[in-house]
Amino acid sequence: MNGMGLLKGLAITFKELWKKPVTLEYPEKKEKLPPRFHGSFTLYSEKCIACGLCQQACPNKVIKVGSIKDENNKRKLASYEMEMKYCLFCGLCVEACPTNALVFNQEYELAKYNVEDIKLTLFKKEQITTGEGSENV
Amino acid sequence: MLKTQEISINVGPQHPSTHGVFRIVLKLDGETIVDAEPVVGYLHRGIEKLAEDRTYTQVIPYTDRMDYLGAMSYNLGYVQAIEKLMGIEVPERAEFIRVIATELSRIASHHVFLASMCLDMGSYTGWMYPFRDRELVLELLEMLTGSRMTFSFMRIGGVADDLPEGFIEKTKQYLPKILEGVDEEEGLIAGNEIFIARTKGLATVSVEKALAWGWGGANLRASGYKFDLRKNRPYSVYDRFEFDIPTGANGDCWDRFYLRLAEIRQSVKIIEQALEMIPEGPIMAKVPKVIKPPVGEVYHEVEAPKGILGYYVVSDGSTKPYRMHVRRPSFINIGMLKELLIGTKLADFITIFASIDVVLGDVDC
Ligand code: SF4
Ligand code: SF4
Repeated sequence: MNGMGLLKGLAITFKELWKKPVTLEYPEKKEKLPPRFHGSFTLYSEKCIACGLCQQACPNKVIKVGSIKDENNKRKLASYEMEMKYCLFCGLCVEACPTNALVFNQEYELAKYNVEDIKLTLFKKEQITTGEGSENV
Repeated sequence: MLKTQEISINVGPQHPSTHGVFRIVLKLDGETIVDAEPVVGYLHRGIEKLAEDRTYTQVIPYTDRMDYLGAMSYNLGYVQAIEKLMGIEVPERAEFIRVIATELSRIASHHVFLASMCLDMGSYTGWMYPFRDRELVLELLEMLTGSRMTFSFMRIGGVADDLPEGFIEKTKQYLPKILEGVDEEEGLIAGNEIFIARTKGLATVSVEKALAWGWGGANLRASGYKFDLRKNRPYSVYDRFEFDIPTGANGDCWDRFYLRLAEIRQSVKIIEQALEMIPEGPIMAKVPKVIKPPVGEVYHEVEAPKGILGYYVVSDGSTKPYRMHVRRPSFINIGMLKELLIGTKLADFITIFASIDVVLGDVDC
């Protein structure tokens, strides 16, 4: 009979009335994210050996690792910058890091008002940033 | 004699029913479409060219961005092509994880198809239900890969990560919910007289025509041709699972719609079996740190949610592909659009376009 299908559909939507809502009142309430979530980045700069493997692994040239040589001729981290507007959140950089210095965090509200603010500076040594002694790996 | 005049109307590129940015110029005689000129290219990013300047591993994130609704199949097709070229044997556990992830991704893609077809035809409720269930699938995929859509999960020789703790339990808990959801969607839409009247008998495609245009996947099966790469030419570990290949009868919009409902059930069946059968073991094969396939070329096809997906990769022995070409199912599907549209009514255009299941990221690449 014509109309039966419509009634059946209405019965299904009617049942939904008694169920818990499936939506979430973002931003008041937030979803619990899984530990692997690909959000923004955290750099544990004390662990970083400035090897530049993350920079090499990145497909989109997002990462720029700056390093200096200290008195024992050992390479040390001077700066760590990420052009987040090019980032694909693929995780190849995190995977490449041998010391687990670079990890994803749970931050996902990354929209910015100004273009300049998109750049993420995870580390910057006070005195020497550019010029003598500084090199990009 | 009354003289009628043809008018041209432009649809898109920024139109909500175009599944991305797609433009089509329709020529109308009254309400009837007499000519149609699709214009593609608004989402062209040059992925094939970009691949030439990336190492083999670095190409993986770009494969996600073709069909972002069912990205896992695109990961799979690419890594399997390179593995074929290098002769890499992938560990069992990795293969099972790949199958689970790919099938989950297929379900999510079909959910979007069901939802967007309903929405395009004016049914907002029909849009809400599949999206509610897609959320379950995305939650699982997020738990596994860390991303909801562009996963970059597979690696040449295996997968990026093992199954996280609690994943198997959670999936087992969610799969019945997904099946329940499919039943609800069927009850909501499949019995609806208006929906049936608007889709049955519309834009029928015969098997010969579908084959002649190179259609594959669910669109081809809707015409009644039983062909599924997962069964006919099994790759990965698909030969170990039991599942049916649902087919349609007439190849009209209705069949193309209804088949997706049936396919979700089959995918759930595959995942259920895979979760039972998954062995312990490593998730990565022994692959060299720097991936350098031998000189040569390779073509590999997999069954993507939207049809047959093929990767053609040429290697010159360096660390970057010399040339990559992707046979994208959406591009093939959209080819027939003009022929399907001519002679139909303007109001049916949206239905027909929705029913061939294209996503513009995949059309333009
Ligand atoms: S997530 Fe991917 S694109 Fe982003 S910085 Fe890391 S390697 Fe580069
Ligand atoms: S790979 Fe790790 S240790 Fe090396 S430069 Fe990058 S963050 Fe530092």
